[in-house]
Amino acid sequence: MHILILLGSVIGGVLLSAQSSINGAFSRKSGTYEAAFLTFFSGALLLAILILFFGEGNILKVFEAPKWQLAAVWFGVGYLFLTVVAVPRIGVIATNIATVIGQLTAGMVIDHFGFFGGLSVPFTWERMLAILLMFIALRFIYIGNKKQKDDTK
Amino acid sequence: MKIWTYLLALLAGVSLSVEGAIYGELGKTIGKLESSFYNFFVGAIILGIVVLFLGKGSLSYTFQAPKWELSGGALGTIYLTILIIAIPIVGVGIAMISVIIGQIAMSILIEHKGWLGSSKASVNKEKLIAVSLMTISLLLIF
Repeated sequence: MHILILLGSVIGGVLLSAQSSINGAFSRKSGTYEAAFLTFFSGALLLAILILFFGEGNILKVFEAPKWQLAAVWFGVGYLFLTVVAVPRIGVIATNIATVIGQLTAGMVIDHFGFFGGLSVPFTWERMLAILLMFIALRFIYIGNKKQKDDTK
Repeated sequence: MKIWTYLLALLAGVSLSVEGAIYGELGKTIGKLESSFYNFFVGAIILGIVVLFLGKGSLSYTFQAPKWELSGGALGTIYLTILIIAIPIVGVGIAMISVIIGQIAMSILIEHKGWLGSSKASVNKEKLIAVSLMTISLLLIF
C-alpha cells in the first residue's frame, strides 16, 4: 500500500513539473497571473464535474470546517506570489533550490511535531541523513546546471 | 538584499508543505476531491481579483493558445488530489521528498528533450548523481 502511495506522489511531482513548463509557455503570451488564474479556473471546472460523479465527501461541510483549515488556499496563492517576486531577482534555479529546501525542512518539522493535527512522525537519524542527501543532491543539480551554462557561453 | 529574496523563496517552499498538511486534514472532513475543488475554486476567485487589478497580460490568449498549453489545470488537480490522499498516510516529509524526485527527474527529461517549449539542456553526470542521491534518500526513510 505504502509503495503505491510513494509511486503516486512521484507521479504527482512529474505532473507538477510538466505543469510548470506548460504554464511557462502559456504565460509568455498571456501573463503570469492570467496563467495562474486559468490553472485554478479550469481545475475547478474539472473537479466540479468529477465531484458530481465520484465525490464521496460533502462539499457543504466546508462551511463547518475550522477557518484555519480554509486558510490553506492562501499558502498556495502565497507560494505563487513569492516565486513571482523571487525568480526575476535570483533566477529560476536558485528559487527552485531554496523552495525545495524550505519544503523539505518544513515537511520534517510538521511531521515531527504533528502540526495541523496530522500524522506525527518523529525526526530520526535516518531522516537527518535523508535530508542531508537531498541537500547534497541539490548541490549537484546546481553544479550540473552551472556547467551547462558555462558550456553554452 | 539578496539574502531576503532567498528567504522569500524558502518561505514559498514552507508554504507548499503547510498547504499539503492542512489539506490532508480538510480532506478527512469534507472529502478529498472536495478539498481539491475548494482549493481551485477559491484560488480562481482570488486570482480573478488579482488579474482584474494587477493583470498586465491578456486572458483572451486562452482562445488562441494551442490546446496543450491549457492542460495546466488538469495536471494541478491530479497533483493536489494525490497529495491529499498521501499525506495522512505517509506524512508530509515522505510525500514531499517523493514529489521533489518526480519533479526534478521530469524537469531533467523535459530539458533534455526540449519538450513543452523549454530550452534544450542535455542530461549530465551531475544531474544523474543528484537523482540517484534523492532516490537513496527516499528509500532510507520509507
